[in-house]
Amino acid sequence: MNCALGFRGVGKVFETRTGSLRALQGIDFALRRGEFLSVLGPSGCGKSSLLALATGLEFPTEGTVEVAGRRVDRPVTDVGIVFQTDVLLDWRTVLGNVMLQIEMRGLDAARYDGRARELLRTVGLAGFEQRRPYELSGGMRQRVSICRALVHDPDILLMDEPFGALDAITREQLVMELHRIWNETRKSVMFVTHDIGEAIFLADRVLVMTPRPGRIEEIVEVDLPRPRTVKTRESARFLALVAHVRTLFVQAGILQVSR
Amino acid sequence: MNAAHEPAGDAMHGAAADAVPARDARGRIARRAVFSRASPLVVIAVILIVWELAVRLFGVPAYLLPPPSAIARRMATDYELLAVNTWITLGEVLAGFALAIVVSIPLAAILAQFRVVENAVYPTLVASQTIPKVAIAPLLVVWFGFGLTPKILIAFLICFFPIVVDTMTGFRCVPREVIWLARSMGASQWKTFMKIRIPAALPNIFAGLKVASTLAVVGAVVGEFIGADRGLGYQLIVANGLMDVQLSFAVLVTLSLLGIALYAAVDLLERVTLPWHVSHRVAAGSPPTQAAS
Repeated sequence: MNCALGFRGVGKVFETRTGSLRALQGIDFALRRGEFLSVLGPSGCGKSSLLALATGLEFPTEGTVEVAGRRVDRPVTDVGIVFQTDVLLDWRTVLGNVMLQIEMRGLDAARYDGRARELLRTVGLAGFEQRRPYELSGGMRQRVSICRALVHDPDILLMDEPFGALDAITREQLVMELHRIWNETRKSVMFVTHDIGEAIFLADRVLVMTPRPGRIEEIVEVDLPRPRTVKTRESARFLALVAHVRTLFVQAGILQVSR
Repeated sequence: MNAAHEPAGDAMHGAAADAVPARDARGRIARRAVFSRASPLVVIAVILIVWELAVRLFGVPAYLLPPPSAIARRMATDYELLAVNTWITLGEVLAGFALAIVVSIPLAAILAQFRVVENAVYPTLVASQTIPKVAIAPLLVVWFGFGLTPKILIAFLICFFPIVVDTMTGFRCVPREVIWLARSMGASQWKTFMKIRIPAALPNIFAGLKVASTLAVVGAVVGEFIGADRGLGYQLIVANGLMDVQLSFAVLVTLSLLGIALYAAVDLLERVTLPWHVSHRVAAGSPPTQAAS
């Protein structure tokens, strides 16, 4: 039971009007407990499908998906999910949005109130508890949605390109914050992204995917020391890993060396 | 904690930068607000003045088109008559409107939630709307007599469809991700409905209610046209019968005031209920803080 999430021989075929479309093929991997796993690939490689399978929003055509040793056959609830859009409810305050997680689960709100406030404080949103989402910037909104995903203290955190809609600098800020939070909590994280640097910076391992059909090209071990800092991105090892992943995409014909 | 001060710092910086021109800007915004409040009144005043002058200059006889001043005087003298009838019509309007709300919103919820029901029921619902309400009105009188019931029913029939359509749109507009999120929280359909779908649909529900509020007045008056011995619609028929154009206009003005008041009440309720909604943010005087960060 050392694995939080396991995919065994998973394939996914979508039936469309024009015929069947294979989204995933032969997906085999395990998210270890306390591991940060990045899933990296271009659009259309099925990485978001992986996430939908992991949460039990969809089910595989072949193979099995297991969460905490149990086969996924209905929506998984012991997770926190962060989407590309922040999905905040406009009519709730910042604190109310975080507490939605608690209310929807029917947990005792009074018990989690302090934890919600504390989480907001650690992402620099102290004093914003009673604001409404529209008063916040994109980066702040996504911070709130991360707090919402963590407030019930789930074992697994699933993130679907959470920083994809943010500008480059805010993005880097949030990557640093996520790394810090992960370092402190050591959740099992599956982090889907299309950004090579982001994937490597955050992860223990990077699952590199290629499209048509979506499959795992290679699982890259990231042996960078922790905690990682802004300087990490400039280290020789980091750059070597980026170069290696890039080579994988070149070999798969996704990137071209020159025209 | 390093990054902790960044967003707060950002916001503080933004506030400080705004502080200097803020007083100027506030004055400008206040002036603009006063102007935007006053401008519809100015338009109405201009129309009334032109009307008044035109009637006087061209010597239009009062039995064809009375000037606004004469209508106002008539409203003052017949104050009691108008008040009594307004009260009756208002009762019919409110009852029909309330009935429409009570029926439409749950119906829309069921249609939006269960596609099978929608497929089965919605076409019939749309088809039923092609029947003009004015055409059904005499039938309703046959069935329910000359009392309040047919008026309330016509007001209900005329204003329930817009509420259904808008409310359905509202229930449908919840993004896929929000529903996924709710499912990952293990929330029941009922809880998702109460905590997410209903509040998300409120802006659309209010849009439907606004349209319906004006239609409800039309419905009640149509009912009174067909068969009634009281109410503003009845009074209008009587005035027309007597060729008392002044009274007709007095009733018309009263009717439109009634419609405006009902609309304003719904609008006010919306502002109180949905201070977070896009349409009320600027009016509430909060600065747009959608910064880049």
